[in-house]
Amino acid sequence: MDAGDAVVVAEDLRKAYGDHLAVDGVSLSIRSGEVFALIGPNGAGKTTLIRALTGTTRPDSGSATILGTGPEAVDRDRIGVLPQSFSPPERLTARELLAYYAGLYDDAREPDTVLREVGLADAGNTRYENLSGGQQRRLCVGTALVNDPDVVIMDEPTTGIDPAGRRTVRGLVDSLAAGGTTVLVSTHDMAEAEGMADRVGLLADGDLVACDPPETLIAEYAGESRLVVETDATLEGVDYPTRTVAGGVVVEGVDPTGIGGVVAALEERGIEYTGIAWSEPDLEDVYMELAGEVEGVRTGRSGEVGFDEADVGPAGAGTGGESAR
Amino acid sequence: MSRVGRLRAEISAGWRSFARRRTAVFFTFLFPALLIVIFGALVRTDPGGGGLFAEPPAYYVPGYLAVVVLFTPLSRLGSEVARHREGNRFEKLATTPLTRGEWLFASTVVNAAIIGLASLLILGLVVALTGAGIAFSPLLVPYVVVGVVCFCGVGAMLGSYTDSRDGAVAASNAIGLPLLFLSETFVTAAQLPGWFEPLMALSPLTYFARGVRAATAPEVAGGGDPTVNLLVLSAFAVAFFALGARSIPRTD
Repeated sequence: MDAGDAVVVAEDLRKAYGDHLAVDGVSLSIRSGEVFALIGPNGAGKTTLIRALTGTTRPDSGSATILGTGPEAVDRDRIGVLPQSFSPPERLTARELLAYYAGLYDDAREPDTVLREVGLADAGNTRYENLSGGQQRRLCVGTALVNDPDVVIMDEPTTGIDPAGRRTVRGLVDSLAAGGTTVLVSTHDMAEAEGMADRVGLLADGDLVACDPPETLIAEYAGESRLVVETDATLEGVDYPTRTVAGGVVVEGVDPTGIGGVVAALEERGIEYTGIAWSEPDLEDVYMELAGEVEGVRTGRSGEVGFDEADVGPAGAGTGGESAR
Repeated sequence: MSRVGRLRAEISAGWRSFARRRTAVFFTFLFPALLIVIFGALVRTDPGGGGLFAEPPAYYVPGYLAVVVLFTPLSRLGSEVARHREGNRFEKLATTPLTRGEWLFASTVVNAAIIGLASLLILGLVVALTGAGIAFSPLLVPYVVVGVVCFCGVGAMLGSYTDSRDGAVAASNAIGLPLLFLSETFVTAAQLPGWFEPLMALSPLTYFARGVRAATAPEVAGGGDPTVNLLVLSAFAVAFFALGARSIPRTD
């Protein structure tokens, strides 16, 4: 990447809260017009990193720049930020809220335009407190867009939003990117990150453990496509490596043309199974591979993929269980 | 122009938010009215008698005004700052052109409007219910405004340094009640021990009470220049406003 093209830069950022090291020497660079997604377990340091980049927390060491300057000196008309767990004045209507935040800028967009973009054109006169949780979050996303910023930074914008709302937000990010806006977004939704981001950074325990385009991360860390057979029996003698997990057997490296062979092997051996699902590797597998151990340590569970973690379709779903996006 | 626009947006949002909290509106105006009814009409003053309320009714006008000039900014600003912190609103505002000073100024304007209306109600009730003979001095306006500025600064600090809305309200009561009764409002200096007098001089409300009394009821004020008291109160206001604005969190 051309360093001169970078609009959001972190260099060896470090931030601790007491004994807890929230961000541990993170360096990253986001270029103009790029959509960058931050993923990672709870407590991985995503929010602290975003706060350091927006100037709402001071790093202990290292530096952050936005649009070529420190966050404290950046032209605030050019950035739009949605903090985590943001809750605006609840007695204002949706339109009044957007007008309020628009009024803080020299040059802002029409509230009704933003309302339409976040899918709330019909809710302009509804007070924030009377909107559903998903509508509230979409309105909050709108508050980050009222000033038509060059850089948009959103901390978990789709938390609590239903699938239709997520699609609206994702479409919004796509159109922002198409218009040349740089977007940094943190999310727990792997499919969302994979679908909308040009690059994904995975934070675990304050470290940026991976940072690449989703397809590169998947190719490098997610392993192969797999078939998960829900059975109490063991499966041996098939052409693929297998491993037994809680509640079944994972057959590794099976592409769609190989599914028939595995099913035939099951029939041949008289193995009873209650479900079978095929999945191709995705960002969630990358997450489990790189951050699963961290999560496992925290929750006391192993990072091993079992039925709870793998994309297992409904019992007897045949081969239709491609990972949900 | 842009600063004016930002202030207008913040004031408009703040006023709407307040006006739509019906219970807040109701009790903002009911609380001082209740006090006047209880102390002014039921307990009543006993000029020349002993104990509390031994002064003429006009003596207590600054005290009734102080109920809103002191308590409303302390509790409203304290809880508003705490509410903003809990909703990460300051984190959001820190990424907009609005400064902390502008936010506090806008909040102070909203409070000044609310308290100005409440003050009119109080003055009307005091005259009607207690028969207090007071002069409607134009100095009342700067006194109320400067008092509001001063205590909005203190309220902002309370909201910034306590850990919740409940904490902010509790702190505002803990600070407000002693100030209200120990600043020459309802209790005269002569009724307090001599060693307490220097402490009264540290309370900005003392200068509010002395100045308002000198402006509205010079005959019961026992001397005192309303302008000098206003200057002292203004100095407190500048200091507390600056400290209050500085205390508002921009970072964690």
